[in-house]
Amino acid sequence: MADIDVLVVGAGPAGLATAIRLGQRLQGDGRDASVVVIDKAAAPGYHNLSGAVVEPGVLDELLPDWRTDRTRFADHVTPVERDELWALSARHAVRVPPRAVPPTMRHAGDAILSVSRLVAFLADRADRLGVEVYHGFAARGLLIEDRRVRGVRLVDLGLDAAGRPRTNYLPGEEVRAGIVVVADGSRGVLSAELDALDRSVPEASVADDRGSAAGRAGSAAGHRTAGRGAGARDVQVYGLGVKAVLQFPGGSPLGAGRVVHTIGYPTRRGVFGGGFIYGMGPKTVAVGLLLGLDWRFVDLDPRVEYEAFRSHPFVAALLEGGTSIATGARTVPEGGYYALGPLDAGGALLVGDAAGFVDEARLKGVHTAIRSGMCAGDAIADALSSDAGVASAGARYRGLLAERGILDELRRARNYRQGFRWGLVPGAALSLIGGRLPVHLRMPPDRSATRVRAHLDRRLPAGADGSAFVSLTGTAHREDEPSHVALVDPARCVACGTAGDAACTHFCPGEVYRWTGTQIVVSASNCLHCMTCTVKCPADNIRWVPPEGGEGPRYRQL
Amino acid sequence: MSAGAASSPGPVPARGAPIHCIVLVKQVPDVSNIPEDAWDLDKGTLRRGMLESILNPLDLHAVTFARSITAARPGSRTVYLTMGPPQACDVLVDCMARAPGDGVLLTDRGFAGADTVATAYSLACAVRRIERDFFEGSRDYVIVAGMQSVDGDTAQVPPQIAQELEIEEIAYVTSPTVAPPFDVRRIGVGGTETVRPTRLPVMLTLTACSEPLYRSFHATRAARRVSIHEWSAASVQAAPERIGLRGSRTQVVQLFSPTASQERHCVFAHTPEELVALIEERYRQEPAHRVRPAGEAYVLGDRTPAYRGEFWVYIEREGDRIRDVSLALLGRARLLADPLGEAVGAVVTGAGLGGLGDELVAHGADRVYSIEHPLLRQPVPSIHAGVIAGIVRERKPQAMLFGATPLGRELAPRVAYASSCGLTADCTALEIGDLTKSGQTQVAILKQTRPALGGNIMATIVTRTSVTQMATVRPGVFAVPAGDPARVGEIVRLLPDLPPDAIGVEVVATEQIAATSSIRDAEVLVAGGRGLRSRAEFEALLRPLAANLGARLGAPSDVAASRMAVEDGYAGRDRQVGQTGQTVAPRVYVALGISGAVQHVSGMQQAGIVAAVNRDPRARIFDHADLGLVGDIAEIGPALIRAAEVTAHGGH
Repeated sequence: MADIDVLVVGAGPAGLATAIRLGQRLQGDGRDASVVVIDKAAAPGYHNLSGAVVEPGVLDELLPDWRTDRTRFADHVTPVERDELWALSARHAVRVPPRAVPPTMRHAGDAILSVSRLVAFLADRADRLGVEVYHGFAARGLLIEDRRVRGVRLVDLGLDAAGRPRTNYLPGEEVRAGIVVVADGSRGVLSAELDALDRSVPEASVADDRGSAAGRAGSAAGHRTAGRGAGARDVQVYGLGVKAVLQFPGGSPLGAGRVVHTIGYPTRRGVFGGGFIYGMGPKTVAVGLLLGLDWRFVDLDPRVEYEAFRSHPFVAALLEGGTSIATGARTVPEGGYYALGPLDAGGALLVGDAAGFVDEARLKGVHTAIRSGMCAGDAIADALSSDAGVASAGARYRGLLAERGILDELRRARNYRQGFRWGLVPGAALSLIGGRLPVHLRMPPDRSATRVRAHLDRRLPAGADGSAFVSLTGTAHREDEPSHVALVDPARCVACGTAGDAACTHFCPGEVYRWTGTQIVVSASNCLHCMTCTVKCPADNIRWVPPEGGEGPRYRQL
Repeated sequence: MSAGAASSPGPVPARGAPIHCIVLVKQVPDVSNIPEDAWDLDKGTLRRGMLESILNPLDLHAVTFARSITAARPGSRTVYLTMGPPQACDVLVDCMARAPGDGVLLTDRGFAGADTVATAYSLACAVRRIERDFFEGSRDYVIVAGMQSVDGDTAQVPPQIAQELEIEEIAYVTSPTVAPPFDVRRIGVGGTETVRPTRLPVMLTLTACSEPLYRSFHATRAARRVSIHEWSAASVQAAPERIGLRGSRTQVVQLFSPTASQERHCVFAHTPEELVALIEERYRQEPAHRVRPAGEAYVLGDRTPAYRGEFWVYIEREGDRIRDVSLALLGRARLLADPLGEAVGAVVTGAGLGGLGDELVAHGADRVYSIEHPLLRQPVPSIHAGVIAGIVRERKPQAMLFGATPLGRELAPRVAYASSCGLTADCTALEIGDLTKSGQTQVAILKQTRPALGGNIMATIVTRTSVTQMATVRPGVFAVPAGDPARVGEIVRLLPDLPPDAIGVEVVATEQIAATSSIRDAEVLVAGGRGLRSRAEFEALLRPLAANLGARLGAPSDVAASRMAVEDGYAGRDRQVGQTGQTVAPRVYVALGISGAVQHVSGMQQAGIVAAVNRDPRARIFDHADLGLVGDIAEIGPALIRAAEVTAHGGH
């Protein structure tokens, strides 16, 4: 019935690494199986955003010939040549002596790249391996039968704003497959479904084969973590990256290959975060801010924080003469080891950010995404050629994650992020020893950190143009489709707005929410698909579902 | 060429019988989503390679339209046809993912460099082969195409294919009627018309109309697996000398950025009256589109010009008066012809000239060619094009100009094709100049400048291997000259023979009302933003102001809205201007209570005169306005309406 053998949902680094590894293995084994990747973005890379400073070794593992590929992708990968950490006060900047920089924040040997470009490259390589990659198809949810994932259902197309079919109505199609790999990224809709499926497993069965992924994979690696069931997992916490790419017609003052990280300004007590400025090339610079979504301030606007960062004299000097040509924002799971989601559930595998594979100490997830994808690809290839078939893929996947040290890397970084709940100084101190602490520091969900009385009162710096940000993301949605962002109980929003809070009007980098004085108006067509609203609404009153495929932002070099 | 010389078109099949569809599609750069990084900041030019390749948006409507025909008539087949490099098969797959059909890719190195004439010829050859191979020689088919493509925006290829195939074209089609017989609805001069082709095949060109079909996932997968038919030039019996660069009759000689002409410096008025007066003053002075001022007059000296002969203008009538665009073109033709010592001719087609001859002479015509026949009373492009092409071939003018009006855009491509001449559509500048290329100078040729790639670059084009240089010119580019009743000229009456069955379409019904008004048709557009605080205020202020301004300036007017205003329910989606709404280019754009977000500005920056009213003197809209007034809309609005009233006109 299912003519698709393997369906990968989400064409990011993790999903495409899965497909590429699988394609390579099938080619090597001389096996014929259909591997299909679908993604909601209009084109490869459009919904992918990262810093990004990446260890290039992971690309060598996946595609040993990537440096000489005919598409000349490698031309856009810049080796890190200078690597600095600076501490900013409101007006000044002090360089942290290199010896004092924690090892997790050193980048010798790494490379600066655009993850949008990386994804476009990976999509092309997957295609050349016989993988079918389809863009512009959004999965609305999983097809689950008898607790097994059988495929996905796509989003209904051609409804009007009221949900009535138009003349071109196309009901959401079913896409069935032998095995499904969920790679829908940070706060993905399908990974949330799998998380719920996994948590709903009766306790009795947890003990045998369906233990928490982290727990059981941990045991496979010889760690003493047995007994941690799905229910014991921490709730995931997130960061929000706000980023721009600047172009310098005459060359940038920063120069290619220079990496600058900052701590301090503009973040205040109660905000975890830091800035980054990367010389992508002689004329191109990536600049951005990563903020922990557990900030206290009800009126914190990440775009204003980003503009404040850019206006700092130290940063402004490095960006002199630059013009923003692209902007974007995306959440990143920061919970690390203890918050790692299920790695397989209902027969489906989760890879990359969808599972929470981010090294919380380094705040890097591209390499773990690719490595987890390669494990999934190998596991499925092994399962396809075994007698047990794809049903054995989950166990094999967990085993490979442990064997290849991916879980160890996350485990070493555990408790890192957690310490920063108490501020920078204790956080920095804890971060150095957190990995060795015998305790499990827990994080509350991000939304509960917001304090309604805590106001930041930051103004957009003079000369900054806040309105250009959304425009430069290139985001677009059909104006008369049903809103893919819904307020569950609008009355609660009225109460929240009347009280003067309306945190959504501040935290959303896409300006989707607006308080009119009497109600919250949702402009879903501005949405950047960053998922902040699903994490940060204090009342958990916002529901996000995928809109029609091909919509949303258009990131090409973020 | 006699390749596939087909039998003459036949009658339309009865109800429910199959009517096959050939859908012409094109891969184009996506000019509606130009990423910032596609601009070369050093040079100020657009890097076309940085744009996504997509299926031309109007072609999606053609796919949808064809599906509605074939779905209603079992046994009907659909063939998608495109021409281009091998990767253009992506658009065929895209079509097949939306509705079933076969894909034909016309691809050959020999097609490279084709202009519209060479493209139309090549596609017509492929249509003949499709008729043989897919329809088994049946003539019961229609050719469906998007009215124009977003990259060239010329709307020339479909009428020229129709000319090559000697069939009728019905343009501005919006939808098929569901009930037989086979009728289509189109936007005609008098409103929405129901038009019946009396014989097939027929070319149908679509303007945006339907809700386009989506790609189905499973059909996308299936389309990837079926093979596309790849046809070479030889396989469709296309004559080598008529295709590609060799067969082309126009050539782009220069590309440049239009941005320099877009900078605005806001002049602030102090009162509503002053603002209205300034709008009117600028409106009367400025040409409708921002074009470079005309250079100095051309000096021929004793050199030999590359072309000789008269400068002709096709004259469009509206009832018993001459349209402004035709009079303006006469004035321009005069300026082009004088330095070369040539005469100007006005070409009129119809049942008779009436009393128009004197007016045409007064406005610059030396000769008025009146082509007269009772059948020419009907506005069917094929017969008018035929008789015009006849006298062009006979009298060989060196240039012929048409207004880029609905009629001109249908007529000019056919005239050019039938008289073997090149055509440049939608020009915004025309001048006589010399062109030196590889050591050879062409003296005194017509340089035709037009926007391309959705207005993002300007192209200067010259005609080659043609007797007559032809162009259509956007209405409003040139001013109407003052008539001189003392001028003298000659009237030449021409009486062609037309067979009684020359016309293959008939208009069976016209709905005068509601020619689906679009904000893009308005020359004066008054737009409101969130500065208007309610729908009532929006209605109470905008409509009267638009009506008064329109009446005062003598131009069609309408109201529009920003996204915020639409979201707050002040106006419908069809009135939204901006990145996610419509892109408009009226001659006058009045922005009331609009802040000027980039998303909005991108939809209106091609307007002629922009006037803004906002409470906040630092509002960004003023950076994109020529005229400004600071103040609260609720207070200023009524005063603006009064100031714009026609009765107050005498005071200025």
